[in-house]
Amino acid sequence: MNVHHPDTLTLMEFSAGNLSEPHALCIRLHLDQCGDCRSRVDTLDSLGAVMMESQPQTEVSSGMFDSILSRIDSDADLSGQQVTTVAKGTARISPLEKLLGEDLNSLPWKRQMGDVSVLDITDRFPGQREQVVLQKLAAGGKAPSHTHRGEETTVVLQGAFADQKGVFNQWDFVVLNQEDDHKPVAVGCEDCITLSVLSAPVKLTGTFGRMLNPFIR
Amino acid sequence: MSTLDTKPARAEGRKDPWSQLLEKVGKHQDREAYHALFQHFGPQIKYYAMANGMANHAEELVQEVFVSIWRRSCLYDWKKAAASTWIFTIARNQRIDMLRKMQRTSAEMPVETEDLWQIPGEHENEPVTSLHRLMSERRVRDSLKHLPEEQITVIAKVYMESKSHQMVADELNIPLGTVKSRVRLALNKLKVILQDQNV
Repeated sequence: MNVHHPDTLTLMEFSAGNLSEPHALCIRLHLDQCGDCRSRVDTLDSLGAVMMESQPQTEVSSGMFDSILSRIDSDADLSGQQVTTVAKGTARISPLEKLLGEDLNSLPWKRQMGDVSVLDITDRFPGQREQVVLQKLAAGGKAPSHTHRGEETTVVLQGAFADQKGVFNQWDFVVLNQEDDHKPVAVGCEDCITLSVLSAPVKLTGTFGRMLNPFIR
Repeated sequence: MSTLDTKPARAEGRKDPWSQLLEKVGKHQDREAYHALFQHFGPQIKYYAMANGMANHAEELVQEVFVSIWRRSCLYDWKKAAASTWIFTIARNQRIDMLRKMQRTSAEMPVETEDLWQIPGEHENEPVTSLHRLMSERRVRDSLKHLPEEQITVIAKVYMESKSHQMVADELNIPLGTVKSRVRLALNKLKVILQDQNV
């Protein structure tokens, strides 16, 4: 049971389809494991449906339904049975596994400092304006005290870490900003691995003059 | 065309007409049912595309959504979602997918749209959630009638025009905090915010 959830306003932006891809991934990973948030997103999706039906409507061109039918008829892949099989077969692979492969621990981690390793995966999200980074804090390890620049969204992928605000377990969701001065410690017997998305400050362009890492800044 | 008041309400434990039609498409590839869904939801989706600034691709989006509805209809389970909610999520995903494809220079999309935006649907053993899902659409529709116009305006911009809270604030020339508090008030009435939520 997760304790740290995304803010409902963020879930709403997810439901409306307005989040950036890395942010959506963080939410999606949390939703995979959190029934409470899934049911909130269900309600929010219903809100989307009700908004859609309560808006004005725009007439569609007269021949459109026929062209849809001919597309369906011309495409052999559109038989119902096949789709069922395909959809059920792929559903089991998590988006994280698709993105990073099976084993988080054997990724090409770069030791950054003391107990902290990082892996920048921003290039997996072409066209996005945020920096996306995996961090690993070795089991029992401590990160130096630090604050954050900009807003950083983090989801715990493995293990757990603790700071002044509490314990963050696997699939917990946390947003940190400039006001958060924290000193995380990896708890439990596993390395703690997190996925973080840093919102690029709007005024800045080009490279950041620093190494991104929510554990060390 | 339907409005908030005339859309058939989803009775608890009963299928609304749209969900029945969608089920017929899924089970029997029923083209009459498919056509009825098209007549009802096609114009809604077209407006959705226009409101999102996709006027040049609005009909293309409607087509993509309906081809996708046909393909996925066999996966539809009325116990998990009302047809209108299910179709809204397909429209949203197809919109995102089209925009991603237009913005990409290369064909490669490392993460697929559905991986990011589709809620995992195979949590069968969640009786509470199922009931919740079943009732949520009706409850949302009923509660929405009682929301003040200013809250509905903000929500409409978020859902129909895909605007961030900040963009809505800029457009309406009101502080971001006001936008957020209008949304929170609305979501509270729609009972989306749980009591333990520290927002």
